Amino acid sequence: MIPKGLEKQINILDFSLSSLWRRKLKNLGIMLVFGVVIFLLGSFQMLTGALTNSAEAVLGNTPEITIQKMSAGRQEAIPRAYIEKLRSIYGIRAIIPRIWGYYFDESNLANFTILALDSNAMPAGNKLNLTLSQGHFPKETETGTVVIGRSVHNILGLGTRRMFSFFRPDLSLKSFNVVGLFSQKTDLLTNDLIFMNLEDARDLFALPPSMVTDLCVYVANPAEIETIAKKIALLLPDTRVLTKNQIQKTYQVVFSWRSGFASICLLTALVAFAILAWDKASGLSPEEKREIGILKILGWETSDILAVRFWESILISTLAFIIGCTAAYFHVAFFDASLLKPIMVGWSVIHPPFKLLPSVTLGDFLLIFTFSVLPYLGATVIPAWRCSTVPPDSVIR
Amino acid sequence: MRPSHILLTLFLLLILIDTALYFHAKRLAITLKDDHAVQAIAVAGLGLTDLCVATEARYTRHPAVTDPMAPFMDHPGAIEHFPSGSFWNAPIYTNTR
Repeated sequence: MIPKGLEKQINILDFSLSSLWRRKLKNLGIMLVFGVVIFLLGSFQMLTGALTNSAEAVLGNTPEITIQKMSAGRQEAIPRAYIEKLRSIYGIRAIIPRIWGYYFDESNLANFTILALDSNAMPAGNKLNLTLSQGHFPKETETGTVVIGRSVHNILGLGTRRMFSFFRPDLSLKSFNVVGLFSQKTDLLTNDLIFMNLEDARDLFALPPSMVTDLCVYVANPAEIETIAKKIALLLPDTRVLTKNQIQKTYQVVFSWRSGFASICLLTALVAFAILAWDKASGLSPEEKREIGILKILGWETSDILAVRFWESILISTLAFIIGCTAAYFHVAFFDASLLKPIMVGWSVIHPPFKLLPSVTLGDFLLIFTFSVLPYLGATVIPAWRCSTVPPDSVIR
Repeated sequence: MRPSHILLTLFLLLILIDTALYFHAKRLAITLKDDHAVQAIAVAGLGLTDLCVATEARYTRHPAVTDPMAPFMDHPGAIEHFPSGSFWNAPIYTNTR
């Protein structure tokens, strides 16, 4: 036996559904626009949240301190002699010189990241072969050998070949032999990466033997990272000193609502929807007013009419919300966020596959719900209340 | 069939889809956890600082080790023009100095 109050609400719900179906074109149109706005907001939030979570999960082992030399506001090569200066700071466990930079491949218009260091001196350096799908990391004695990311392999069109050449700054060619390929599992980090020996990188970039790109510093006691970083900054005033903590913080802010283009697009969509809702709120159509008048003449109370409008609004907005959020998950998880990705990667020729777990949090859902569903409810129920309080004969006449 | 019954069926269908997505997310999380272990080795062994998401500009390829003013360094009065730069928020200036 259904309680009387509930039965009344189910009857009102039936009436609301019939009423929505009578104006199906208009209502489906509103639901579509509403759903698209929620889909865009949800996709953006799920994608940026997923990237932030991934960064947090994998960037825990970045170098404890990175030292870069600055000149005229720009980063430039740092002298190896600085390593000797740093020996005076007590608590430093290891200083590892590193050469890295970018190589622009003019034939493919792709930008590769070149990285070179003594991997044996790095933490987990002896496990690096686990990150490869085939081959091995170049030994110190193996000159002219490289490990490449999967996109580098595809863009260079190597196929089964193992040799390729890059131009030095003087346009002479330097050949490399591919001895390893990074695994698909590390695509999010190594997709555009070419790893080689320090000597090969020095040769490719024509860097003098006394210079490297930056220095990675590891300390004996992790609690002293900040203190040692300050000492380094005092000792080497022409350098920029970045700590592990600062590097990790970058990814907590780099994707956010404040990022320019995306927020402009999303806010524009939200404003467009607000205008639509405001248009609806500014007055009911004569047909809707007449319907309310007839219902009042038939004995319906103002509260019943408000209940009908409430059900109509809550159905449209809730369905749009659920469908929009579900579609956003599909978009990020199964389609690599293909609508947002072109903006995010820009003119990059290398498009890393986004194997990401969409970030689904209650806070994000509540935020989207508050920005979309609640204003729509207010925008539809308030004009119905205004109309239902006027005498019915004046409405239907 | 009453309209409310059709609505109930629709909601049940959506709940079914979302439940399936929930289990998909759980399974994906387990797969990605394995991937993260391998990625952590790559980060530690190669001293990596950034995700490889956008490769068009150095300040979006390596935002963690880039100057905040890098997008405007091409010449005096230069404006930032790479599309990916407009998607990414500028990292906070975290220099120790």
